[in-house]
Amino acid sequence: MEILLAKYNYWIYVALMMIGIYGMIAKTNLMKKIIGMSIFQTAIIVFYVSIGAKKGATIPIIEHGHGAAHAAVRVADYVNPLPHVLMLTAIVVGVGTLGVALAIAMSIYKEYGSLEEDEILERLE
Amino acid sequence: MIWQFDFLILALGVICALASISLKDLLSAAIVFGAYSFLMCLLWTEMGAVDVAFTEAAVGAGVSTVFFLAAVFHTSRIVQPRRRGRMLHKLVGLAAATGIGILLISATADFPNWANPNSPASTHLSPFYITETIPLTGVPNIVTSVLADFRGFDTMFETAVIFVAGLAVVSILGRYGRRLRDYEPSPVGEDVAHQSPIIQAACRIFVPFMQLFALYVVAHGHHSPGGGFQGGVILGASFILVAISYDLRVMQRRLQERRAMLFSSLGVLIYSGIGALCLLMGANFLDYSILHTILPATSPIMARSHGMLGVEVGVALTVMSIMVIIYVNVASYGKSDRGL
Repeated sequence: MEILLAKYNYWIYVALMMIGIYGMIAKTNLMKKIIGMSIFQTAIIVFYVSIGAKKGATIPIIEHGHGAAHAAVRVADYVNPLPHVLMLTAIVVGVGTLGVALAIAMSIYKEYGSLEEDEILERLE
Repeated sequence: MIWQFDFLILALGVICALASISLKDLLSAAIVFGAYSFLMCLLWTEMGAVDVAFTEAAVGAGVSTVFFLAAVFHTSRIVQPRRRGRMLHKLVGLAAATGIGILLISATADFPNWANPNSPASTHLSPFYITETIPLTGVPNIVTSVLADFRGFDTMFETAVIFVAGLAVVSILGRYGRRLRDYEPSPVGEDVAHQSPIIQAACRIFVPFMQLFALYVVAHGHHSPGGGFQGGVILGASFILVAISYDLRVMQRRLQERRAMLFSSLGVLIYSGIGALCLLMGANFLDYSILHTILPATSPIMARSHGMLGVEVGVALTVMSIMVIIYVNVASYGKSDRGL
């Protein structure tokens, strides 16, 4: 039970990642492949963010303002901000690559009249 | 961190992911994927990653769902079943997924326990940034100070990547439409009126507040969750809202695609220009503390804070215009005339 509580988060992230991989490999529709890719991406992001989580810590904004006492900052009070920074930019770059992927899929649709992998392969021959 | 809450969100997330992979209707799949993104955003808020959650709420649950809908609108909506070799395909996918999954799960045995404050990631490098952000930069939001100052070089190229993504979308889809050079916004005809007046009135009320909030998010990112990326996406979303509830041409009278292209390169120029200015004044590239000699009434520490605000404005400009450009091109197949 203890190991379950300590590790079940990671197992669910792996499950999400595998749903993404399955979508990318087994689905023949290009849009489904793109959705699978996005799920895979969020699974990795959620894994990174969870590395930064700390029990009993608050959000990574140092307490400040006129009323706040200028006490020494205790590291254990704030979650690890470094994975947040990495993943914040990854999300925005992710929407950029999503746009490119959709543009390529639409371009393929214009050329071959289909989004299904097997039909496109037939028309290629 | 309440594990019951965590578990509930994760379970709902897995259900949404499975549903959006297996639904035959791509429109529903896109909507369910938006719900999945929103669940992820809740999960990150719960883990204390407020900036990441903010970005995901604006990007994943908002803008990328709209991109999916626009792309599905222009292509086929229903997934056709595969003609032959269906079982083989599924088996290969399942085998790959379970194989990699078992390997990854067995690797988790070596991980530190979830949310352990003494894990290696939280003990070696990150304490420096948590304790030194106020003395070195005067910015309380650690994510902003690492993003725009300590790691500013990397963020500059992330901004450039977004710019390049916009260029790629224009060059892939632009050949189906007219050339940008010849573009003149055509007059808005009476076909705009086919949209519901309730939606248009609601949009008219929403958009100014959205843009005001976006500017607040950009400017106040030092003290609260937010910053250039989030504010830029919200600004872009406000233009996309106008384009959806009215017409693409109504939006283009406010922000032409050509001008958006100019703004996006201007944003990258602002970011690298501030870096180059520091270089010209004799400090390192993107070392904002030297700027206190030209900014009035600042110390080297406050100059770093102000320098961050400058680059965040550049990031917001680029992100806003690239979101608009991607939407315009995907929604109109590169023609940038009518839209959905």
